[in-house]
Amino acid sequence: MGSKTIKKREIIVALAANPNVGKSTLFNALTGETAHVANWPGVTVSVNQGYLTHHGVQIKVVDLPGSYGLSAGAKQVAEAITGEFITRYRPDVVVVLADATALERTLYMAILVLELTGGVVLALNMMDVAAKRAIHVDIEGLERELGVPVVGISALKEIGLGALLDRILDVAEGRAGRSTPLRVDYGPLEPYINEIENLLANCPSLAAYPRRWAAVKLMEGDPSLAETLSKADPQLLKKVEEVRTRAEAELRVVPEEFMVQARYELISSLLRGKIKVTRLASPGLAQKLDRIALHPIAGPIFSLLVLFSAFTAVFAVNTGSPVDMILASIGFKKAAELVGEYSLVSLIGGAFDRLAGLASETLLNAGYPEWTASLLADGVISGMGLVLSFLPLVFTVFVLLGVLQDSGLMARVAVSLDRFFRRFGVSGRAVFPAVIGFGCNVPAILATRAMDDDRERVVTSLAVPMIPCQARLIVAVALVASIASTPARQAAVLVGLYTLQISLYLITALVMNRVIYKVKTPPELLLEVPPYHTPSLKVAWWYARTNSLHFLKKAGTVIFAANLAFWLMLHVGPHGYVADIQGAAASLGGIVGKYLEPVGALVGLGDWRVILALLAGFIAREAVLTTLASMTGVADPLGAVAALNLTPLQALSLAVLSMAYTPCAATLAVIKQEVRLVSLLLKQLVYQLGVAIAMAAAIYWGGLLLLG
Amino acid sequence: MSGMVVPMSMLPPGARAIVREIRAGRGLARRLMEMGLLPGSEVTILFNSAGPLVISVRGVTLSLGRGIASKVMVQPL
Repeated sequence: MGSKTIKKREIIVALAANPNVGKSTLFNALTGETAHVANWPGVTVSVNQGYLTHHGVQIKVVDLPGSYGLSAGAKQVAEAITGEFITRYRPDVVVVLADATALERTLYMAILVLELTGGVVLALNMMDVAAKRAIHVDIEGLERELGVPVVGISALKEIGLGALLDRILDVAEGRAGRSTPLRVDYGPLEPYINEIENLLANCPSLAAYPRRWAAVKLMEGDPSLAETLSKADPQLLKKVEEVRTRAEAELRVVPEEFMVQARYELISSLLRGKIKVTRLASPGLAQKLDRIALHPIAGPIFSLLVLFSAFTAVFAVNTGSPVDMILASIGFKKAAELVGEYSLVSLIGGAFDRLAGLASETLLNAGYPEWTASLLADGVISGMGLVLSFLPLVFTVFVLLGVLQDSGLMARVAVSLDRFFRRFGVSGRAVFPAVIGFGCNVPAILATRAMDDDRERVVTSLAVPMIPCQARLIVAVALVASIASTPARQAAVLVGLYTLQISLYLITALVMNRVIYKVKTPPELLLEVPPYHTPSLKVAWWYARTNSLHFLKKAGTVIFAANLAFWLMLHVGPHGYVADIQGAAASLGGIVGKYLEPVGALVGLGDWRVILALLAGFIAREAVLTTLASMTGVADPLGAVAALNLTPLQALSLAVLSMAYTPCAATLAVIKQEVRLVSLLLKQLVYQLGVAIAMAAAIYWGGLLLLG
Repeated sequence: MSGMVVPMSMLPPGARAIVREIRAGRGLARRLMEMGLLPGSEVTILFNSAGPLVISVRGVTLSLGRGIASKVMVQPL
């Protein structure tokens, strides 16, 4: 029968663009709260995706990582994905985003995608900025030349998004767009490309790709396509290579060089007469700022100031330190206490403490056995409190990072610190993961994806765990009271611990370079320096929200589970339920801790409770404190540490140890995912544990010797 | 007036030049070209002191290490 029901179908839209043209902003503006991380089988990294409905059509938007090209070998993770995704999943529409203020450069991606598929909508972002700079773009003219819809938008101000969605539906439903991909004229190379095309005619393994596109890519020497072909039909690859070599010899050109140039020439001719600049932008503030930010001496100082003040602000909001310490040291004790009390961490921690007490009381009064009350209060509620008391820290760090990136400051920091980082075998890019690592190591390791150089990526991933994250800061803050008496000295200890860890980050990078790769020349910096923007709170909020949710899911579940597992270890023993906290020695945890006491004695910490706390810290570093709290029966972390009666030297040894020893479970999981070499991961683990124990031992025994 | 072809790393800040040749391996050369730095492009040197160079090409600001910059042969304008 001919009665067709109109099926409500979902269309898939992929976003592709160069870095720095505002792709994430567009993605967030389109998908808002629905954004989440998704894995597509066969696509090497997870991508962000989200949903929206427009005119009753459900649209799934996939945010492909920003890249400069489509083809790349194993070295550039982000590059290959756009091509990989489009050929494998054939999205209904690919939206290519270009920067209206730099079309000459950013249209390149549009040409690459158009060569692969005709189902494209070209969005010209930052039309508002272009208008301000008196840049006029002939949109209809571009549309005519390219044969696909072109829409001027401002992702940030959400201008033109409705029109963009209309045009997306037009293309998805066949009312607009090209029926065939764009054919770039490669001039003298054309006969050779045709020859490759003919060779590929009988090649089933590349049938998924448009034949012309596959031929063009092979002519360019695309490593991933060549690899696919070498697996399927090595003979054919040989023939293709032969054509390529012949073209090179006969025309005396490097094909890929010639082809990139042909595309840029096409762009120039496309744009001829379509961009009008009616007045030149004055150099203005941005250039003056750059004269400082990129200056060889002023630049690094400026960068350090930016990073330092940013982090001071975040720490102050969340933990009260170092502002409370500064206030206390200049005599404002009361004000210092207030700052400490009303910091987010204390507020949330306090609320959950009260909630736990209330729950436990209610259960006991209702006649439930004691263990249920303890499980609920100490195992479940305090675990949730722990996760949530972290969230503001993580969130604000991400807001800050979002602002640093969005404003264009981060790139300048990387450029100005490059010379310094090179001494340690990495480029200025290594500053990004390091800075993010102060918030949480997990996203820091993910941030290494932006690195071009595979070696630098691995080395940095392995060094990042030396950067003390917020969790370690909290442990250190709880310990300093037992190390030094005056606030000024406490602050000095904290600064010392941070300096030590940052040095270890750099030294580890150096060591890993020498040991794993045995090379001495650092990778070269190659980086786009985006124009300054007034940071948008909206962009920072999106960035922080996505990353915090990710943290909540990944780390949150681990922290929660760890807390529960440790409750069990402390309350279950060979003789059943261990009620009394003081009797915890009879629990499973107590027995394991006692067994490891000789190891702890190496660093002056031969107390099974401390060892158990450190074991808990393997799972999540802040669990060091919660474990101590539940074992000493003192909920307040400072009190719990005090209850251990550590000497200042022991406390310092513990602080150094908990700052430096092996990364937490979540970090390890991400390193494994990114580095993909378990042997390397194990080496890193042994190395970091060794370094931490050696430092703690040196400090403890050295201190004992010095102090007699 | 156009001068001799020299490595880009030798140009002073403020200098303008045309890229003539990229003497780098395949991967790097391709990357540079995709970022808009290819033979025929006009570049302006914004910063060039001890650290990486900062240049402007096709309306975009790029920073590249001295090693890379010395592989880009340019003809000063």
